[in-house]
Amino acid sequence: MGVLTDRRAFESYVTAARSRWERLWSGDQWVISVGISECSIAKGALETYRHLELVLAAGHIRAVLRRVGCAGWCFAEPFVEVKMPDSPPIVYGWVTTERVPELIDGLRRGDLHADWALGVRSVEPWRGIPPLGEHPFLRHQHRILLEHAGVIDPESIEDYIAVGGYGAFVKALFEMTPEEVVEEVKASNLRGRGGAGFPAGIKWESGRRTPARPKYVVVNSHEGEPNVFKDRRLLETNPHLVLEGLLIGCYALETPYGYNFIGGEHALALRRFQRAVEQAYEFGLLGDNILGSGFSCHVRVRTGGGAYICGEGSALMYAIMGQRGQPRTKPPRSVEEGLWRRPTVLNNTETFASVPAIIRNGGAWYASLGTKESTGTKLITMQGPVRYLGVAEIEMGLPMRQLIFDVFGGMRPGYRFKGIQTGGVSAGPLREEELDVPVDFDSLTSLGGMLGSGGFVVFDDSVCAVDFARYLVAFSRYESCGKCTPCRLGTPALVEILDRIRYGFGRPEDLEIIQYASKHIIELSLCGLGQVAPMPLLGMLERFRDEFVEHITERRCRAGVCPLESAVAVR
Amino acid sequence: MELPVVPRRPIDLDPLQRILEERYRPQDHQEAQELIVGACQEAQHLYGWVPPQAAHLIAEHLGVTINRVYGLLTFYADFRTQPPGRHYLWLCYGAACYVAGAQRLIEVLRDEYGMDEKGDLADGILSVNVFNGCLGVCDLAPVGQLDHQTYVGHLTAEELRALIERLRRNDGVEGSHGGSH
Repeated sequence: MGVLTDRRAFESYVTAARSRWERLWSGDQWVISVGISECSIAKGALETYRHLELVLAAGHIRAVLRRVGCAGWCFAEPFVEVKMPDSPPIVYGWVTTERVPELIDGLRRGDLHADWALGVRSVEPWRGIPPLGEHPFLRHQHRILLEHAGVIDPESIEDYIAVGGYGAFVKALFEMTPEEVVEEVKASNLRGRGGAGFPAGIKWESGRRTPARPKYVVVNSHEGEPNVFKDRRLLETNPHLVLEGLLIGCYALETPYGYNFIGGEHALALRRFQRAVEQAYEFGLLGDNILGSGFSCHVRVRTGGGAYICGEGSALMYAIMGQRGQPRTKPPRSVEEGLWRRPTVLNNTETFASVPAIIRNGGAWYASLGTKESTGTKLITMQGPVRYLGVAEIEMGLPMRQLIFDVFGGMRPGYRFKGIQTGGVSAGPLREEELDVPVDFDSLTSLGGMLGSGGFVVFDDSVCAVDFARYLVAFSRYESCGKCTPCRLGTPALVEILDRIRYGFGRPEDLEIIQYASKHIIELSLCGLGQVAPMPLLGMLERFRDEFVEHITERRCRAGVCPLESAVAVR
Repeated sequence: MELPVVPRRPIDLDPLQRILEERYRPQDHQEAQELIVGACQEAQHLYGWVPPQAAHLIAEHLGVTINRVYGLLTFYADFRTQPPGRHYLWLCYGAACYVAGAQRLIEVLRDEYGMDEKGDLADGILSVNVFNGCLGVCDLAPVGQLDHQTYVGHLTAEELRALIERLRRNDGVEGSHGGSH
């Protein structure tokens, strides 16, 4: 593949890629796709892939064996999609190695193994297998970012271009001024997906307004919370989408410098994004004078080494600069003085990934999705004893109850819903009676919860509110960067009080001390992460106060989790 | 499955030197600083830890002080400045794993195998990195990743003990994916 030197060359490549893509799906060979990402590798997808290779060769089946990314249905992994010459693609879940020969032999004999199928990729059912879109997990989703997840090969720029990739960037480059791009993003009312929910368009505009140069555009792909894994799945399944969003961001800011900061622990996400950058350079979609437009862009990938604090904007910039990732006081805001003390626009991975669709379809289209104040779609990860674990993409404003009980399938047999922790480690839980709240930025915040980066944990009666609160605060204690005193000393103090309660030495006044100490941490901490560190504890205390009181007055833990009886062993 | 065992040989700096020369060629001092963490990750990948010689080599190659390198090595949780045990277990401590019993596993490691604050077991057979984030494979909770490749899911205290015994006997370890439905 030679470098594409102008728009015409790009368009004719698109035409060629598209017809190759269509030929792939209409040929007389089998097309078999295996989802390979970190989550499916954990469940043996690589073995499934190798096994398929052997079985297909042994059976002399003319087939194209492909690798695709995560499609969100982690509960059904490893998954395999089979397209036979005369059938629509059928997606099968739970295809472990021992099932491979049975599946392939069955298919050759005409036995479809409908019981293993999640659905067919078509509008109509096919020989008793319902359409994939009717699967309970997918029925209530609205997939924009995940539209091609599990369909295209994440390591192939050709696949991405064949399904319309880089079209939005090329459109922006040749048909729009940078100001118009910013206007479109503003019109979409896209709000930052990292948790804070600040409107991206306004951030981009203030970045443009600052006169200093050079400017930087940074993707925050550092995901360190204990219940969030959407950004890395996005990078594993469609890295070019994030890169295209970043390119559009660089164009809007009229700067040639883009960065992506990815946690070093997300090895596959890192590798696939790096691969995407290399391919974009090979195609001339990155580099100098892109497609002859006069616009140049260079993207650097940087990594951290396992520190939650690096997800905070200013800390992340220090981390890129090779300093310890610790936040600083604001102002100046990073759009005025960020990376290398230059104007820097930093947004979350998911935010950038939303931009290509906005440029393609218009800001007004995006603003028509979701609610008035929280537009568009949101990636959600949910943990706990629910039936369909995975990554979902929903329109903002879907009621929480529907999210838990329809999309994620509700509680597994034998578990009773007790509460749901929202906002990662930055907010409080919700109880059963509060579940009619719409899932968007403002509604959740009004209840003391938080949308955050879309990570939720459902818990049941076997979880003790005191113990769980301790876990969440202990996370913040461990991850405190140590720069400012309220967080460095305050979070251990909270853990100490909670341990006192857990071990049966709690005193009635402890609950007031928690309130008082939390107030200090919230008001005096330097960065956003310190300011929210006590939130899960305050939320648990508000929602499940009787459990805290029981621990203190009756020395009783109704979940039977806390080590109250071993009280003598503790100082 | 044969597991890679961290070799107990004197540190050979040549492979690191080669990687640095091939892939870590900063255009200016600014970029050199941006590359420190990545270079340290290469060293950790090669040796299982970042030996002092490697840290010095990185500092020299990138033209930064050794303090800058150690400032980062001691800041990030993933870096080791001491040799690790023979095997490596990445133990997830996400909320789902915590709720499913990860805490109990840590207690077993501490109480029965003398795991210290760095995560090293007393007899040097295993180094544990309790991952204060999420491995993102929550339906295998509590889950760990052994020697960067084999996932062990739905781990109970008994299975953990058996796993360590097998490592001690140098037997292979089968991954457990939670099976089929």
